[in-house]
Amino acid sequence: MVVRRYARLYDQVFSVVAIFVALVFFFPIYWAASTSLRNPIDTFTVSGVGVPFLDFDPTLNNWIDQLSTPETQNALINSTIISTLATLLALLVGLPAAYALARFRYTTIKNKDLTVWFLSQRVLPPVATVMPFFLVMRSLGLLDTHLALILINATFILPFVVVILRQSFLDLPYELEEAALVDGASFFQTFLRIALPLSLPSVVTTGLIIFAFAWNEFLFAITISSQKAITIPVHMAGAVDTRGVQFWFMAVRALIAMIPPVVIALLAQRYIVRGLTLGAVKG
Amino acid sequence: MTRKQAKFFFLAPAIIWVFVFTIFPLGYSAVLSVFSLENSVDVTRTKVPLLDDAGEPVLTRSGKPRTRTVIERTVNSDWTFVGGKNFVRITKDMQAAEAAKVTVIFAVVAVTIQIVLGMALALLFNRKLPARGVMRSVMIMPIFATPIAVGYLFFTIFFENGGPLSFTGIPWLSNPSWALFSVILVDVWQWTPFAFLVFLAALQGIDSEQIEAARLDTESSWKIFTNIVLPALQPVIVIVLLLRFAEAIKVFDIPFALTGGGPGVATQSYTFLAFRTGLRFFDVGYASAMSYTLLIAAMIIVTVFFSRIRKSYS
Repeated sequence: MVVRRYARLYDQVFSVVAIFVALVFFFPIYWAASTSLRNPIDTFTVSGVGVPFLDFDPTLNNWIDQLSTPETQNALINSTIISTLATLLALLVGLPAAYALARFRYTTIKNKDLTVWFLSQRVLPPVATVMPFFLVMRSLGLLDTHLALILINATFILPFVVVILRQSFLDLPYELEEAALVDGASFFQTFLRIALPLSLPSVVTTGLIIFAFAWNEFLFAITISSQKAITIPVHMAGAVDTRGVQFWFMAVRALIAMIPPVVIALLAQRYIVRGLTLGAVKG
Repeated sequence: MTRKQAKFFFLAPAIIWVFVFTIFPLGYSAVLSVFSLENSVDVTRTKVPLLDDAGEPVLTRSGKPRTRTVIERTVNSDWTFVGGKNFVRITKDMQAAEAAKVTVIFAVVAVTIQIVLGMALALLFNRKLPARGVMRSVMIMPIFATPIAVGYLFFTIFFENGGPLSFTGIPWLSNPSWALFSVILVDVWQWTPFAFLVFLAALQGIDSEQIEAARLDTESSWKIFTNIVLPALQPVIVIVLLLRFAEAIKVFDIPFALTGGGPGVATQSYTFLAFRTGLRFFDVGYASAMSYTLLIAAMIIVTVFFSRIRKSYS
């Protein structure tokens, strides 16, 4: 009896702690949402934690204002184009490599070393390549273009594609592909018609995760883009001119930037742990 | 297509890609790092006759043509080979030393908090929970939130005149030490969930019978943790530690947005300084040398990291 009562008390304390932890981690996002719905005049005067309707009269004006500016729309379009094409390009180049590392045996340089070589790109400091990339793009006349940002983002996410999807191909049973090869299918057909459709769920999920990475990239975007090719994070940084004054716009911009990758992450939940540890931990 | 050809054509594009877009820039950067870019400005003054609307020279009273002075500036970018001088300069540069210090403090403190807190939360949540899915979703959000937006978002939260944390009276962003701590806090908010999720996944892989048996032997929870859980989680802890550390020493977005590197240079990370030096002040050679120093630091970490986890990719 006593033990059971303790267990129940423990459960209740635990629930309170759990809710508290969740609230702490959720608070910044909640605060952005709350600020974005306030009239400028309410920004610093709301009481408590700024619950809409309770502490202030919410308005959608900030959202309408921000979303109707051509700059925001332009940045949203740019970010979508750049992240999508970078993702597709990385998949196009990386998928065959991932498959090859899973199914063929390389002898000159071993599969393991090739995989680790791809993996190691991820850890290089991007600032080491940003200056040469800037100089090359300047001499090619590609500054402030989508193409430059697509190429560099594809480069950053390529290692993810190779390493994570290699693991997905390894997880597939080889018998089907073997049978197809015996029946006279070419390696390319086997890859395209059998292995790829079977691993489609992980290809799509990996695609979502790398799209989010490309969406969030900032260092190269601010270096390469100046006007036409400005992405959402760079557009966000434009709020720097108005900082300290227009918090309501900053909150809207922050949410516009964050919502797509966060939604994507929630869709790709199952693969997050594997993705973020580059396949080293299976979540 | 023979097997030999397939092996080549499947892998070659990705390898070529890395050579063109990663290895080549790195080589270029290495070359830049032993050069110094001097911008000198040549000013030439030439006197040209002043013309009126009809194109006739305007004359002074004494009958001489009036002149105006045209000043032409030409910027000459001269690359001079300086050998290892840029690297020597780093060791004497107070700003670089400060940035290195800021980066190391940031990385060590932030990653330590993330691991300890992530572990504590993972242990706490490793049980049946009514709203587990909700908790998981809440913890995934920070990881994928755009870092630059997170920086600005926390700028509004740490705002000292009316922000939600202003009741504490803490000079979150205006005091140099607090500002660095605030940057650390943001990173902790963003990446503790990552440690938490990875540890939770690993905890669920531990054989629960072993723990039950130990519990029946009336071993204390702490003993179970140190004798069973911690050894089982050790490889995963190493992975999180090194992945996070390798990321943390590259920190750029958060200080850029949250503090702009300030107050003063209190939160100017190494990447931030290299970015400024190279792309704001166009001291490209020196900035390349700075990035290479960071690259070497990262490579040391990577080597340690991969010697540990290489076997999981075999």
